[in-house]
Amino acid sequence: METKEELDIIAHTRSEIQARREDTGRSLFLIWGYPTAICFLAEFAVLMLWGKDITAWLWIVIPLIGMPLMMIHKRRDYERTGRRTLNESYALQLWMFLGAASAVSGFTLGITDIYSQCYCTIQGLIIATGCFVTGELSRHRPMKLCSIVGAIITFACPFLQGDRWPWQLVVAACVTIIALIIPGHMLLRKNKHEKQEDSNTIPLWPDQWPAA
Amino acid sequence: MKNRKTVIPFRFGPINGLLHNELRLKVMVALDSLESANFMYLCEITEATRGNLSIQLATLRDAGYIEVSKSGSGPTSRSCCRITRKGEDALHEYEKNLRLLFEQEVPEQINEYRKIG
Repeated sequence: METKEELDIIAHTRSEIQARREDTGRSLFLIWGYPTAICFLAEFAVLMLWGKDITAWLWIVIPLIGMPLMMIHKRRDYERTGRRTLNESYALQLWMFLGAASAVSGFTLGITDIYSQCYCTIQGLIIATGCFVTGELSRHRPMKLCSIVGAIITFACPFLQGDRWPWQLVVAACVTIIALIIPGHMLLRKNKHEKQEDSNTIPLWPDQWPAA
Repeated sequence: MKNRKTVIPFRFGPINGLLHNELRLKVMVALDSLESANFMYLCEITEATRGNLSIQLATLRDAGYIEVSKSGSGPTSRSCCRITRKGEDALHEYEKNLRLLFEQEVPEQINEYRKIG
């Protein structure tokens, strides 16, 4: 092989892998987004209807649903694509860490009985942080914008104290929708659009052209 | 004062013979861009036959450039490959040397470098 030929092989292989890349976090966002939003809204509904503070432990449902779903999805995804990119691995580790931080904070605040004061603020900021870092890894600007909007909305929580605290749950659900569910669907749509574009592209070499 | 003609900006080590093979180079570049990849994915990306790929993977594994882990047994077993730190260093060194060598092969660029030097 000549030097130029080898450099071409390196560049071609890298671009081929880049072209097959799917956006990081799409599945993670939807898997965690829907259970979290539903959980916050269910807790709000129970509190408004029956006023039971035991719902402060309802967050346990989120990891119980999200964690097995994520593991199953990642395994299937790896079997389907046959590879795991570095960004996917970083995003997975990030969300696992944030999930653990979220669970520890929920547990601690539940025990110390200050759940109603700051739980939703902490959750909102954790979600917004995760979304921002994943957006940075995916180089997806709308996702980063969503995370910033989510973080700003989170700061409404400290103003909702006392009897109005259940409304913090609605704010946290809104943050989840803005910073998790909407970016998840945006990535899903972007991937579908890119795949469609790829299938419409005419190959460079005549021997790869479809038969007339 | 330095003689300009003696200033040679092209210093490279010996070319790594193990990576001086199209298929092995493709595998190493692919694994360098990914965290891990299975055998079928590498087959697809390198457009190699299974037998040939399997031999080259064994060569790279024996050199300590990649790690191959197998899960399952029989026809459903899967091989998962990932690049090692030694492999990463070897590939980056090889690519750097190739670039220096390529620049040396192009006379116009040599003249450009001499002008700068």
